[in-house]
Amino acid sequence: MNLPNLTLADFLPLFPAIIMVAGASVLLLSEVFLSATSSRAYQAVLTVVTAVAAGFAALTAMFEPAHEVFLGFGVLDPFSSFLTFVVCVGLALAALSSVSFLRKRGAERGEFYALMLFAAAGMSLLAMSNELITLFVNLEVLSIATYALTSYLRRGTRPSEAGFKYFILGAFSSAVLLYGSALLYGATGSTKLTDMVGPLSGALAAQPLLVYAGLILVGAGFAFKVAAVPFHMWTPDVYEGAPTPVTALMSAGVKAAAFAALVRVFLTLGKGIDPHLPLVLFSVLAFLTMVAGNLLAIPQRNVKRMLAYSSIAHAGYLLVGVAALFVTGPGEQFRLLGPSELTGGTPVDLARAQALRGILFYLLAYTFSAVGAFAMVSALERREDEEKGTAWDLERFSGLAQRRPGYAVAMAAFMLSLGGIPPTIGFMSKLLIFQSAVDSGLVGLAIVGVLSSAAGVYYYLRVVVYMFMRPVPEGAQTLERSWSTELTLVLSTAAVVVLGILPGPITAWLQQASRIFGL
Amino acid sequence: MNIELILFGAFALLTLLSAGLVIFARSPINSAMALVSTFFFLAGLYVLLWAHTVAVLQVLVYAGAIMVLFLFVIMLLNLGESPTRGRPTLARVAGGVATLGFLVVLGLALSKLPVMAPPAMSGAEAATFGTMASLGQTIFTQWLFPFEAVSLLLLVAMVGAVVVAKSRI
Repeated sequence: MNLPNLTLADFLPLFPAIIMVAGASVLLLSEVFLSATSSRAYQAVLTVVTAVAAGFAALTAMFEPAHEVFLGFGVLDPFSSFLTFVVCVGLALAALSSVSFLRKRGAERGEFYALMLFAAAGMSLLAMSNELITLFVNLEVLSIATYALTSYLRRGTRPSEAGFKYFILGAFSSAVLLYGSALLYGATGSTKLTDMVGPLSGALAAQPLLVYAGLILVGAGFAFKVAAVPFHMWTPDVYEGAPTPVTALMSAGVKAAAFAALVRVFLTLGKGIDPHLPLVLFSVLAFLTMVAGNLLAIPQRNVKRMLAYSSIAHAGYLLVGVAALFVTGPGEQFRLLGPSELTGGTPVDLARAQALRGILFYLLAYTFSAVGAFAMVSALERREDEEKGTAWDLERFSGLAQRRPGYAVAMAAFMLSLGGIPPTIGFMSKLLIFQSAVDSGLVGLAIVGVLSSAAGVYYYLRVVVYMFMRPVPEGAQTLERSWSTELTLVLSTAAVVVLGILPGPITAWLQQASRIFGL
Repeated sequence: MNIELILFGAFALLTLLSAGLVIFARSPINSAMALVSTFFFLAGLYVLLWAHTVAVLQVLVYAGAIMVLFLFVIMLLNLGESPTRGRPTLARVAGGVATLGFLVVLGLALSKLPVMAPPAMSGAEAATFGTMASLGQTIFTQWLFPFEAVSLLLLVAMVGAVVVAKSRI
């Protein structure tokens, strides 16, 4: 019997996931010893500590040289480690913001945090998967955990509807992804991405339909997970019906992990095919997603739903960065900000590294801004208004600046960041994405992106206008304070503003993280 | 005519017969029992294909565990005999025509497939092919990572199912 030679280096990329699964197991097992009235304050703290430890493990692994692990089923590269770090940031902030949310509803349970940790572990594993079956299994780990979290609180009709819709459509999209993977396996005879590249060009010549169908089905499966138009129908209902901290985790973590898998699959397989196919595919998706996401968000008066459409629009901007990855020759004449500071490699490699950097920074920026905004939404909503549908109405933000100036300033920072207005992290990240698009020659897509984000400023600023320029409505309830929500807001606001003015500290990380395995 | 062919014919015929019974039986219990026998005969076909492990799993998982679940649900729902067939409506006729058309297309596609001889195996390969030992060896060496990921998936699904099934949180 020939045993594979597994060493400690094989387990290095798994450490963040192992830490999170261990934390989840502690939460699940300790729940056994608690009565219904025991204090459960330690659970969120334990979750945050676990997330921080996992994020630290991911950062340590980021400076290891990229290599295959587990016989090519996974990879350790700075790209996946950085994405794991982003997921851990989102998890920590979402867990902090769920403390008072759950306490107000009397629903504090270890299972909630355990499922959050399981979902994050699945995201981390998805980012490092380099084989289609592994990728599918890890995608299901994160999906099933989020399905259960979506229907965690089933009071009223909305959460049940959200959970059911998410489950059915999610299962359908997973099946589409699996079908595409099966077709690609049939065409190439392997499920390891690295081994598929070689036979792919031959298969493309022999059976072009099979390969195209496989790639398009895999792309459609991912497009569902990142909520790209026209696969976005589930997003508003699910985001609205899910518990707000879960929505925060979904918008930040699930999106980051799905983008990681999408980039890895198409970048690796793209070496074996004409790059125009993914370029056209992602350009069309990006165009539709940016325009439709922003236009649909404009009429929303429900802030939670507005943020759901905004998350669709942000997936569109990210897809611009993905499309920029597949450009064959960068348009040198359009250098927006002078020559890139990256050195070494051909112009195509440089443009690619820049686009990857843009995607990664954008994911980090969106995590801080969106999780912060959802934390704010959960601080203002009240359970009693959910059935009436007014829990998330714009009116609730009226006069917030007079009642809680700190909250209003934090929310204003998140809104400006999501809208892409300086001096916030959202502006820097949009700049990087559109810069890489222009440098890659996708000028038209960049112009559409800038115009549609200008349209988006309207609905972000409307929230700010309500907070600062409207009077406090009659009979407004006093807002309860909670240390955990305020800590979330302080941390997110600090990150949004400080990294928006001085992105210096993480540029070194981003430089490193744009190294993806096999490029 | 060798014994393999006779066994194949017997199993195939019995599979088709019991599968037909699943559809045509009036009482849901009879349908479910016919499904159990379909699974058993399918397992026989798997053995003829040298897939012993799949055959054992078929009996253990499908005929054993899953069918018990089916029967439980049928008994809990307390279903009676299905009502009489009724008049053919447009939807039924259209469904029947579509199914027949699909079968014709499927048959044409299958008849166009080249008939291939089974790949030749060396003696050592033939001895281990499809056995539990070789399957286990593949899973626990080469496919270790996805296999462990599946165990995480099952744990998550179990916790998730318990959380969703709780009447009130």
